[in-house]
Formats: sequence, structure tokens, C-alpha cells
Amino acid sequence: MTDSYLAPLWISCKTVLTTTVITFFIGIFVARWMARYSGRGKNLIDGIFILPLVLPPTVVGFGLLLLFGRNGPLGEFFSWFGTTIVFSWPATVITAVIMTFPLMYMSAKAGFEQVDINVENAARTLGAGEWRVFWTVTMPMAWPAVVAATILTFARALGEFGATLILAGNIPGKTTTIPVAIYFAIQAGHNDRALILVAIVLAISFASLAALAYWKRKTPKTAIIKLTE
Amino acid sequence: MLEVNIKRSLPGFCLSVDFSINQEILAILGPSGSGKTMTMQCIAGLLKPDEGYVKLNDKVLLDTKAGISLKPRARGVGFVFQNYALFPHYTVEDNIAYGMNQLPKDRVKTRVAELMDKMHLTGLGHRFPRQLSAGQQQRVALARAIAPEPELLLLDEPFSALDSQVKERLELELLNLQNFYKGNILFVTHNLAEGYKLASRMAIYESGRIVQCDLKNRVIGSPANRTVARLTGVRNIMLGTIEEIAGGVVRVMVPELCGIIKVKTENTDGFSAGQAVYIGIRPEYIHIVDQPGDNTFQCKADRIVDGVSLINCFFHMSQESMDRHWIEVSLHKLHAPLIAEGHECYVYLPPQHVLIIKD
Repeated sequence: MTDSYLAPLWISCKTVLTTTVITFFIGIFVARWMARYSGRGKNLIDGIFILPLVLPPTVVGFGLLLLFGRNGPLGEFFSWFGTTIVFSWPATVITAVIMTFPLMYMSAKAGFEQVDINVENAARTLGAGEWRVFWTVTMPMAWPAVVAATILTFARALGEFGATLILAGNIPGKTTTIPVAIYFAIQAGHNDRALILVAIVLAISFASLAALAYWKRKTPKTAIIKLTE
Repeated sequence: MLEVNIKRSLPGFCLSVDFSINQEILAILGPSGSGKTMTMQCIAGLLKPDEGYVKLNDKVLLDTKAGISLKPRARGVGFVFQNYALFPHYTVEDNIAYGMNQLPKDRVKTRVAELMDKMHLTGLGHRFPRQLSAGQQQRVALARAIAPEPELLLLDEPFSALDSQVKERLELELLNLQNFYKGNILFVTHNLAEGYKLASRMAIYESGRIVQCDLKNRVIGSPANRTVARLTGVRNIMLGTIEEIAGGVVRVMVPELCGIIKVKTENTDGFSAGQAVYIGIRPEYIHIVDQPGDNTFQCKADRIVDGVSLINCFFHMSQESMDRHWIEVSLHKLHAPLIAEGHECYVYLPPQHVLIIKD
């Protein structure tokens, strides 16, 4: 009986951790680029990046299904390599990344925009290339915003349901994340199962929030600096 | 040797400057918004001009015609920002060491210690910027900028945010800096006295252009136009017409003074009788006398402003002219005769201290 709880737990853990790492890096790099971008179409590009946040998850899910489905452009691309994305575990990560990206992007971008450009310029005049400026000045100074963005990403990934259900489906042991499992448990009338799953989610959430809050207060800035020096 | 030629246009503003300096300190003065900071940022590579040429010693930093524009990190230009822009998450030592990360660790350590000693920061190495006073932060910003031994140092209003005592001490630091920093220095300031004290040459900006760039005594002694004159403390500027030029003395009819003023000047080129010119004189060169005579005008004291060691008196001419203008006189309290508001007296404008300003 317990492995039917372990399975969604394990899948959610894998998905959420993978998603958070991927979204973190893609999000901060895109945010950094856009924060200092002053070219044409800035608002349009910004709008595209935020779109998944604004659209209903089922709409995003359907869009992804069209994209990765058997007749979709990416679906055909992947079938060349003998894989299908639809109803596979990577689909849970893809949907979660798409749904969490706007949050990471918006919060990190706001954080980067707050960094005094004079401090970044000072670093440039002192011989730092753009990467060094980013890792030793921009990131440490925007760190609280970046941490907040990561927390949001984590939470959103954990709770991602609509788009995941459409693209990844409900295949126990393969793509059934906890939110999907809770939904189907309720549908089937297994409220006790649902409650236990909910308790598991709550436990994970509190533990993660506590860990992240601790991290934020500790010495986050020096961690990055030490890593990149 | 620094050569700068920059043009940059923005809606409603056009920067167009051309100057060069050679191993000296240049003070850049001018009203807010006249393009001083923009010039410095273009020299440092933080802003791109529309057209420009910047050469520092043997290195071309910018040449828009040839498509050369070095990144700030490759220019060897140190910059001290108005708000210091210290790295808040680095200690003082790490701030100063930031630009030297190409050097071996022990060399960096010695140089940081050396700079901290020269800038009187010893003992503060492990503090963070927020734990320092403004004067200390300023010194860290200076030390950080000169640590990588740049060939040019740019200071953007380095002392504007400081109280007068700290400012005086830091001005001495800057003068002292020349003992261990041998490059060119450019600094932007609003404060004439500070610019004059610290620099050898001054450039006066107005609306994106340099109106005069010269050795400081020439800027003070022969201002190129009224803006320079006003910015350099010539508080009395009046319009007049040249009556006669003879043997190094120019006679100018000045309606505001209700009389003729004689100006002693070596350079009478470009002046002719009947020409309209401005004459100017600094408040501190005017004497108060009790008898009429040459270059002496009768007037009445309108307002007396009592300063700590100086008195500023505002006189208007006794014979009421159509426009009521003031002559400002600045007297040291030690030598000031007793004057009260409403007093009638004479002001004497020494001919050798009257300036002729072209426009």
C-alpha cells in the first residue's frame, strides 16, 4: 500500500527538483539579458515570456500537446530519436518549467533592475568581463529577489496540475505527480488517500520553505562569490 | 596624454567637446545637465558617443570612424562615482582588491595594505561599506580605482556628498594622491574653489560644449564669456560700449555705473571703438573709498550681508539709472570700513582688475 504513496512522492520530488534547477538557470540568464536590454520589441518579448502565467494552465497544456504531439513539430523531431514526450516523465518537467519560468523571470528581472548600474559599471572599469560582473556583483546584490523567485518556482512546480495532466497524463509510477494523484484519488472517492497525499505535500512545503529561509539569511552572497572566484 | 573628441546627441541636448590634457589634473566645471558626467562616461566606455575619438597615451580607446571601441575593462580608466558605488557585499579589502585579480595573491595583499595605509584606512580592512563613514567610503572608492594602476582617473563630483571638514581633509588626500599616482586625473565639480585648488587646468561646460579650457589662472583672469565669468565668481557683469582704446587702456562707457570705466589690459586685439562689450569685476577687488576719482563711482549701500570673515555689500548707483542693478563688493572684516545700509559712499574699481568679456 505504501508504495502507492511513494510513487507520486518520488515523481514529484524528481520533477520539482529538476524543474527548479532548470528554471533557475534559464530564468536568471534570460532575466539578466532582458534587464539590460533596450532594443526594439522589449515589451513584446517581455509579454511572450510572461504568457504562461497569464493563460489558463489547460490552455498551455493543450498548446504543448499540439507542439509535442505525434503531428506536432517537436513531436516529429523527437520521434526521429525514437522518443515521445507526450505521457512521459520529461513531460512533467517541461510543463513545470514552462509554467514556472514567468515567475522566476519576473522576480529575478525586478531584482536585477534594482541593482545600481553604477556598481556594475564600477566593476567593468575595474577590469571585470560581463560574466564576472554578473556573478560577483549583480547576483549577490539581487540575491534576496533571486531566492524569492526560486521559492515561488519551487512552490509552483510542486503544485502544477492542469498542464501536467494534459501533456504528461496520469500514468502511476511514471508521470503521476502528487497533485495529479490527489485529483484522481478524490475522483475515485478515496478521500483518505487524498488526505495522506495532502499531508505529504504540506510536509515537503514547510520543510523546503524553512530550508530556503535559512539559506536566504545565511551567507548567500559569499557562497556565490566563493564559487566563482 | 589624453585626447578627447566626442559628439553625442539626445532629444533636446547635444554634447560636442574636444580637448586634450598632458599629465595634469583637469577640473570640469559647469551647471547641472551640461554634459560633464556624460563626457566622463564616454571616456570610460560606459556610454557610446555618436561620433568620437579618445586616445590615452599610446592607446586608442575609441575611434568611431575606424570602428574601434574598447570595452571599459580594456581601457585602463579608473572611475570614482558620485555615490562611490562600492560593492556592499565585499569587505574594504576585497573592494580594493577587486581590480587586481590578475595579479598573484601575495602581490595583491601587499598592494592593498599599501593603498590602505596611504589612504588612512588601516584597520578597516574587514569592515563592510555600510559600516564606514562617508569620508571613509570615499577613500575606499579612490583606493579601489587606483589599485589596478589606471593611466587615467576620472572622479565624478568626488566631494559633493561630504560635509566641509571631511571635504577639506579629502581635498588634501587628493593633492597627496599625486605622490603615488602618476596618471592623468579628470574631476567634475560644482565647486569653483575646490576645482581651482586641486587642478592645474579647468574646463568650463555649458549646454554640452566646452566654453573654455585653459590653465586655471587664465580661466580666472580672462574668462572667455559671461558663463565662464559667472561660474568663476565674477559677480558683477555689466554691459558697456568702448569709447576709446589707447596704450593698453580701454575706456568703456557703462550705463549701469553712470560713467566711464578704464580697463587696463595687455590684450586689445579684436576690440574697436563703438563695440559693445561686457565688463566684469570680482566682488573682492572693489574698494570702498570716500572721494570721487578715476574709476570711482558714487553709490548707496542697499544691503549688507554679514558672513563669518567676509562682508558682502550690495550697492546701487546713486544716480538712479533706469534699471536698478547691484554692485556686489566683498570685504574682509579686518579691512572693512564701517558701512550701514543706506550709507552713501564711493566704490573704486581698479583698472587692472576689471575684465573685458567678449559676450
